[in-house]
Amino acid sequence: MKPLLYATLAAYVVAASHSVLAFVNQRRGADRVTSISLILGFVAHTTAIIADWAQDGHYPLFDLHETISFLAWTLVIAYGLAVYRYQIRALGVFLLPVVCLLVFASNVVRGNTELVASRVTDGSAAWLFPVHTTILFLAYASFFVAFAASVMYLWQERELKSKSFSAIFHRLPSLTTVDDIGSTAAGVGFTLLSLGIITGVIWSSARSGRMWHNDPIEFFALLTWVLYLTLLHYRTQWRGRKAAWLGIAGFVLVLCTFAGAMLLGGYHVFG
Amino acid sequence: MSILLVGLNHKTAPVEVRERLAFTDEACAESLHALVDGEIVREGLIVSTCNRVEILATSAREHDAEANSRLEGFLSRARSVPGEFFRSHFYTHADDAAVRHVFRVASSLDSMVVGEPQVLGQVRHAYSLAVEAGTAGRVLHRLVHHALHVAKRVRTETGIAASAVSISYTAVELGRKIFGSLKGSTVLLVGAGEMAELAAQHLANAGASRVLVTNRTPESAQKLADKFGGEAVDFNSLAKHLAEADIIICSTGAQQYVITKEMAARARETRRNRPAFFIDISVPRNVDPEVGKLDNLFVFDVDDLESVVASNIREREREAERAELIVESEVMQFQLALRNLDIGPTVGALKVKLQRIAREEFERQRHRLGDITPEQERAIEAMLLSAVNKISHPLIHRLRRSYDTGEDENMKAWRDSFKLEE
Repeated sequence: MKPLLYATLAAYVVAASHSVLAFVNQRRGADRVTSISLILGFVAHTTAIIADWAQDGHYPLFDLHETISFLAWTLVIAYGLAVYRYQIRALGVFLLPVVCLLVFASNVVRGNTELVASRVTDGSAAWLFPVHTTILFLAYASFFVAFAASVMYLWQERELKSKSFSAIFHRLPSLTTVDDIGSTAAGVGFTLLSLGIITGVIWSSARSGRMWHNDPIEFFALLTWVLYLTLLHYRTQWRGRKAAWLGIAGFVLVLCTFAGAMLLGGYHVFG
Repeated sequence: MSILLVGLNHKTAPVEVRERLAFTDEACAESLHALVDGEIVREGLIVSTCNRVEILATSAREHDAEANSRLEGFLSRARSVPGEFFRSHFYTHADDAAVRHVFRVASSLDSMVVGEPQVLGQVRHAYSLAVEAGTAGRVLHRLVHHALHVAKRVRTETGIAASAVSISYTAVELGRKIFGSLKGSTVLLVGAGEMAELAAQHLANAGASRVLVTNRTPESAQKLADKFGGEAVDFNSLAKHLAEADIIICSTGAQQYVITKEMAARARETRRNRPAFFIDISVPRNVDPEVGKLDNLFVFDVDDLESVVASNIREREREAERAELIVESEVMQFQLALRNLDIGPTVGALKVKLQRIAREEFERQRHRLGDITPEQERAIEAMLLSAVNKISHPLIHRLRRSYDTGEDENMKAWRDSFKLEE
């Protein structure tokens, strides 16, 4: 799988650098390069993941290396959808370098597959594992997009209020657009998160009869869920700045979920 | 072949000088015929705008000096202005410098407001006048087309024309920055005034679907509303209409705030926090600056807009530096293209080649001639060369004709058959 992952990384690096180049120089030619290399990278990435799956015989979300790679994969999907829907290529400046870093990290790290595999494959309803994890990863990718949109919103809002504009200002999409992206991404992320939590609960009760394990990842996921619920509920009243800050807070919670899972341990395991 | 450019512009000459030299379209057509004599000046084009009067011409290389003074004399005669009147404001460019100047003018790098779009149309117009008058030949055709290409590159590859440099247009740009598309947005014009009306007009052109106009005197409001195809609304219900408007342009003579923080906050509530953009062009200000401290409300007064304009101009100047690089590389490109266009080197190469053949043959057979004096040797050589020249003369004549009539294929055939391409 290694060569394919290296090819993926190379294509993503080309895409990310051209995305930054297009952002700085405002050249359309570079945008085309980004699209093409991103598509090539994504195809290679998908192939690598499927090949990994076929080779090991388990869903490629066991060890840390697979997890990180999968996260990058979902981010690329989220980026593709956002660009398709809103034509905002500025998002790539935030997102594609992160994708590159993740793929690079996944090429470097190695995790303990055996440990996780044994914990997941025994017990009933093992088929829920891919569903549960995939949905949640897509949710996290959506939250990342919401986070990036929030940053773009706050940056521009601050410059509009202070009436001094940097070069970046002129290259970002309009306030209304990023606000719209933020709320759509948060909405999609929230729906996926809800589904992810539900599948997790079902899986858990099928395995051990317990719905709640008091582990950090569950705690943070629930907190994230409540926060986004609040955000979406007060959407119209908190439009703009407040919503953007909540988008950032939500993403911090998502990061806590990951950090919590890795550092504090518990029922959930990553690599 | 030389390319010459003489003229003056807003940087070198005051308007009193420019206006006396400016050409109307009719004068331009007539003068072009007087300018181009086919001998010394072979092609000509006159660019005359409020900011510049320039004459672009081509001449045969050997007539350079003459052509230059002729252009100046021509301008003086055509506009009946003595040469001393404008000589000190004059600039003269030749070849690369002239090409560069034309490229810079077309790309709007030489304009008063760098990046303004009109000058390209003016260059195009000057060219079409020259084409109509029949004074634009193959070099000017090529040059103007290349200039249009450069202008397009500069426009698309740099941000030279990206940001607004007028207050009213800056308002539109900021509106776009906040709302994305202005399609379907509602504009509320409070009061009247040239700048406010201009901004409202720009916003309407950019797609604002509804224009509300209000004024202390309902008649003025109605008049203005008719102008924009908008609706006049009662000044006393301003607070109510505030909630309907995405963009509010204020320009009244009122001495106190017309839109207070409370009004704006209430309107925002009614609008469920959708953003609103206040443009306050009045002095003293009509919109309480405190309004701008509320979330999702953006207030720009005259000073704010002017500082945006100033920073946009600086941004354009930065982009202009990148544009200069494009111009520079295109000047080189054009020189290469011109070399293929120029007949001189081809004729020269042909002559040299034929003479070399004659000399080589003479060298080869030299020993068979036995003892001859140096005088005799020179006579034989002269004879050979003169024969070669006489034989090649109709060829070269034909070559020049192909060149003049623009039969590029023919010229290429000539070059190929004599293997003139090094």
